[in-house]
Amino acid sequence: MGASAPAPAVELTGITKKYGAVVACGDVDLTLHRGRIHGILGENGAGKSTLMKILIGLVLPDSGTIAVDGKRCTIHDPIDAARLGIGMVHQHFSLIDALTVWENVALGDAGRLDPQAVRSRIGEISDQYGLGIEPDARVGDLTAGLRQRVEIIKCLRRDPSIVVFDEPTSVLTPDESLQLFAALRHVVAAENRAVVLVSHKLDEVLASTDEITIMRQGRVVDRRPTAGTAARQLATAMVGREVSLRAERAALGVIAVDDVAHDETAEHEVDDSVAPALSIRDATVIGAGGVRLLDQLDLDVRPGEIVGVAGVEGNGQRALGDLLSSLVRLQSGTVMAGGQQVAAGRSGAMSRAGIAVIPEDRHDSGCVLDMTVAENLVLVNQRRVARRGVIDQAALNEFALRMIADFGIQCSGPDAPMWSLSGGNQQRVVLARELSDQPTVLVAAQPTRGLDVGAIEYMTERLRAAAQAGVAVLLISSELEEIIDIATRVVVIHRGRIVGEMAHHELDLERLGLLMGGAAA
Amino acid sequence: MTDMPETSVSASPVATNVARGTRITEWLTLYSLSVLAALVLSAMLVETTGGSWRPVLSALIDGSVRAPGRWGETLGAATPLLLVALGTVISAKAGLVNIGQEGQLLIGSAMATYLGFLVGGSGAFSVIVVLLAGALGGALWAGIAGVLKYWRGVPEVLSTLLLVTIAGQAVAFGLRYDWLLLAPQANRGNRNQVSDQVAEGNRVPRVTVFGNEFPIAVFIAVALAVFVAWALARTVWGFRLRMLGRNPRAAQRAGVSQTRYGSMALLLSGAFAGFAGAAMLAGGGFAFGNYRLVPGFSANIGWTGLLVALVAREKALVAIPVAFVFAGLRTGSGFVGSTGVEGRITDVIQGLLVLALLIPPAVIFIRDRRRARSATTART
Repeated sequence: MGASAPAPAVELTGITKKYGAVVACGDVDLTLHRGRIHGILGENGAGKSTLMKILIGLVLPDSGTIAVDGKRCTIHDPIDAARLGIGMVHQHFSLIDALTVWENVALGDAGRLDPQAVRSRIGEISDQYGLGIEPDARVGDLTAGLRQRVEIIKCLRRDPSIVVFDEPTSVLTPDESLQLFAALRHVVAAENRAVVLVSHKLDEVLASTDEITIMRQGRVVDRRPTAGTAARQLATAMVGREVSLRAERAALGVIAVDDVAHDETAEHEVDDSVAPALSIRDATVIGAGGVRLLDQLDLDVRPGEIVGVAGVEGNGQRALGDLLSSLVRLQSGTVMAGGQQVAAGRSGAMSRAGIAVIPEDRHDSGCVLDMTVAENLVLVNQRRVARRGVIDQAALNEFALRMIADFGIQCSGPDAPMWSLSGGNQQRVVLARELSDQPTVLVAAQPTRGLDVGAIEYMTERLRAAAQAGVAVLLISSELEEIIDIATRVVVIHRGRIVGEMAHHELDLERLGLLMGGAAA
Repeated sequence: MTDMPETSVSASPVATNVARGTRITEWLTLYSLSVLAALVLSAMLVETTGGSWRPVLSALIDGSVRAPGRWGETLGAATPLLLVALGTVISAKAGLVNIGQEGQLLIGSAMATYLGFLVGGSGAFSVIVVLLAGALGGALWAGIAGVLKYWRGVPEVLSTLLLVTIAGQAVAFGLRYDWLLLAPQANRGNRNQVSDQVAEGNRVPRVTVFGNEFPIAVFIAVALAVFVAWALARTVWGFRLRMLGRNPRAAQRAGVSQTRYGSMALLLSGAFAGFAGAAMLAGGGFAFGNYRLVPGFSANIGWTGLLVALVAREKALVAIPVAFVFAGLRTGSGFVGSTGVEGRITDVIQGLLVLALLIPPAVIFIRDRRRARSATTART
């Protein structure tokens, strides 16, 4: 860049942020220019969100410098960021359903409220960008796409010169995404703003950005102009090459070093002729606002195999876990376990059919924080410690002590309240309980999320052992390494459908990345 | 999106024991401070309204326990309070907010009156019919809220509360027609809107201990409190009910049907309130209409019972002494009038005491939850 060129809108240099031993961002450089859309691409946990949070002051970096319009500055909080003209459209909506659009937009304003001014400003922005938002509409009545636009209006109203969009399309339909990107282009071209688009969808990054930064495991691995880049190259860069990836995991101690060379997972592939223990056919689940969370999903899991469901988060993984936890009803389709159809959505039906679940969010449906460890160990099945409807305290205590010993649960005893345990130990309680009922199917949704390396290794071993004992294991994970590491067969979920499948011995990372990004392969 | 390592909580046995010790001290300090504050405020109130606090306190104690026969009277008043509170504990454990006990109690007493006279007879069987009719009436009234909740999604907080008003109107209506609840002309003198007196043979027997007379329903209520405490803590049913209340999604996955267990809890809670109403009707005591159903028969026992459960923090056994204290305030207030201070001042004192007893659990609850939150996930 020549000396006469204007200073870049934002220049981040050497940004590092660590959480304990985990490097969320390691020595990241990023330069944003006015009038251009900058795509930041990476898997879940690659550090994209942390980087953006640093930019808008939600997280303070351990080291590194930030310069806005050529001037060095520190951003302590979102108010600092707003003063510097940095605005963000968040991934998760922060709207209140019961209020109208203009009330939501005005929320958080200081001083006297001028409803008329807020309304007319919303009208102006809406017309200018063709957003079609009615200031007096109730937010609860709007579709996800329109709510997103309300978020955009909230951000643009303060006229920021730098706008960050964090995974803006995760809740949108394809049509709504297209409209969003048309508006995005306008914001940049007409008004000379700098725009950042954080995403893990290859197609949208390719379609709407001018330049791309690719992050993996907290570091920038590639930087390139969008023009002339193929989805294939991006997929490879985002996922990383197999060799380096496995070596990194070996270095972390997650898998033994000799495993890298000699992969034993492949030896356990299961014959197709075995009858599946779990069989989902044509499953459609409709969520709030009419979104298709699962869209005619087909999936089989046979005894002894570990089927990994790979995919970018927000593509139906949660709905799949909820379906197998009896938490959602099916719009259409069937779930069969052990050859018997299971009534989806009826309380306890899935667990009675032998489907054990380690849920994505253990606090949501996996445990009761206000009950004791012992009680949490018999949450699903109290019969083992009860006689004629009365719980035998001695039997419960004995069972709990055995589980605590078998699964190495660190706690002050069976009577410790569940909330007093660390996340890893809570996860062990869930695992112990789910395995203690001799399930035929084990669903593990994001089982290692938030755990440290030792706990990850333990969980991985347990899943492998379960499969070897003949349990059909369904591993739903957005950590691709985890799936590659232990799955015997990998399927890819995208927008609520299974879009591809490959056995472990025919794993093709490039194709996997393309499938996950929604590009046809 | 970025996964952060979770902060772990120390959970060694030693730490827990130390924590338990400080916890008890903390509870005691908080409770004594807030009760003391309530008493000082009450004394100030009495002084400013022209009385003096010593005779008022003395009258309160005389009226509730010290004067001859008074603690029997207090026990009689504590019985329906405890029964209502037990029902409230059950629904609260299932995560339901039933606040319509006043109406359920009234419908229960009306049902007891109606069915009692319909079945007639005398002896133990008839008494049991009267009491169970009360439970049935209360369960029916709570059942309306249950149907609305599980069929149409109407919040039970609203429906149970609004049904109180309807219950009052319904009973007043019933007391206008002698084919419903109204006593025949000959038996009501110049009173209108009053039911026949419950026949001698249909009344809950009363016992006299040291000159204190009270209905044996006292023993039934205490036995029920022990049973409810045991059932909630020790049976599979209680376990599943608690699970539903604490985490409905975990319960749904584990096979605890929200509709089934939730409506069961609501029905039971109404049944306890209705049973309380029947016990008031057939148990005697001048404060409760003297064996007759009259408009306003429920006499705030439903509301006060709700407070008893609240103060007892959803613990069935703790509700026993709390019910006695609240009953004492009620019976004691009758004597306060003689000191020249407005008798209703005890309503204010009662209100202050309730607040005083509710503040410590609220403080500790909020602090514990904050602690638990920061202890579990730090994920964004």
